[in-house]
Amino acid sequence: MVAVLKSVDEPTQAEFHDVIAQRADRWYAACLRITRNPDLAEDAVQDALLSAWNKRHQYERSARLDTWIHRIAVNSALQLLRKNRPAAWEPLETDIPDDSNSPNEAREEQELNTELTAALKRLSEIERVCFVLKHLEQWRLKEIANELNTSVGTIKQALFRAVKKLRVSMASLRSE
Amino acid sequence: MINEETLTLYFYDDGLSDTERQQVEAALQSDADLAAAYSRLCRELEQWREPEADPAPAHLKQRWHDSIDKAARAEIKQAARPHAAFHWFSFAWGAAMTAVLVLGIGIGVYFSGNTPVIPTIDNSANGIPVIGEPATPVSFTRGLQLHLQDSQSEIAGLPTDASADRVLLLAQIIEQNRMFERAAKQNNSPGVARVLRAFEPILIRLASDDIAPEDAEALRAQLAFELGVVLTKLAQDTSNETHST
Repeated sequence: MVAVLKSVDEPTQAEFHDVIAQRADRWYAACLRITRNPDLAEDAVQDALLSAWNKRHQYERSARLDTWIHRIAVNSALQLLRKNRPAAWEPLETDIPDDSNSPNEAREEQELNTELTAALKRLSEIERVCFVLKHLEQWRLKEIANELNTSVGTIKQALFRAVKKLRVSMASLRSE
Repeated sequence: MINEETLTLYFYDDGLSDTERQQVEAALQSDADLAAAYSRLCRELEQWREPEADPAPAHLKQRWHDSIDKAARAEIKQAARPHAAFHWFSFAWGAAMTAVLVLGIGIGVYFSGNTPVIPTIDNSANGIPVIGEPATPVSFTRGLQLHLQDSQSEIAGLPTDASADRVLLLAQIIEQNRMFERAAKQNNSPGVARVLRAFEPILIRLASDDIAPEDAEALRAQLAFELGVVLTKLAQDTSNETHST
């Protein structure tokens, strides 16, 4: 009986397809904001979907399926980012603005062409990730610190710097 | 003294103790300059909403839809596989059929004398296609062979428990697999890229921590078989290319 109830409660294949059709753009955009790399963002969404599918018995109907997958996708993006650029999470003294000119820059520019996105590009990696997770994804500081394997103090400092830089950048972007 | 950093934490309602929050509230009521600064900060932060998401490229969405379908198919086939007992008769029958098939392909290849381009063979329980692409550079094919051989031996020696080593090892194989998938696309070998992509759902399922040991074993056997088939196909292509040059 338990097994029957459990299987009824699990999201179906059709529900997964529906939610991909409706929300995949948002997951991809969130992963792109974190990784700034279309390939990593693509893989993050792919990982998240397969992980959600494999663990769908853990999904609770009280949460929205798209929100659940969104959270898994953001986690996957963070993991992929860390794996690809482990230096990004080293102490803040070594933290330099991420202004590398990647080959995907033009594509990324096109995909994330907003004022805020332009301003986000002027932040270092840890500042950008902390700001995105706190301000846009609304994570708690403790959650961010746990996920990035660092202290709440480090996250606070990165967030303060991000907000300060963004205020300056946004003001200058508007005056241009 | 309440600074901008404290006001930022106050705005986010995070990172301040109850006492600190009360201090900020009291200061905001008594200090007009601070209240004005906070109001400015709120206005700016509230303006920074999530940018409108541009649509993800259509081929990516298709890939995500496909991956769910593949994972669902793999599960159905896995569930249909009998777990209880080992059927010697079925095994012997299957082995005999495989031997006949291999012999048939071997004879066909021997007498054809041409590079066999096998368009798309749904060769197994998971439906991994084997696609011959004669234009694939030899250096890439060699690299791919090495990757698949390494993956095959690593999967054969995979720890049976759901340990961190096992997850790490599978994560590495998945990562490498993706690198070769991208390289295949760059080398104008979409068929090879598709074959490699088809491995991914199985590898990810194998890496999940809630998989039953017998299911893991079945997936491992399936992967070993699929990898073996692809390696055989690549070896044939390489050998035929060598003979034809």
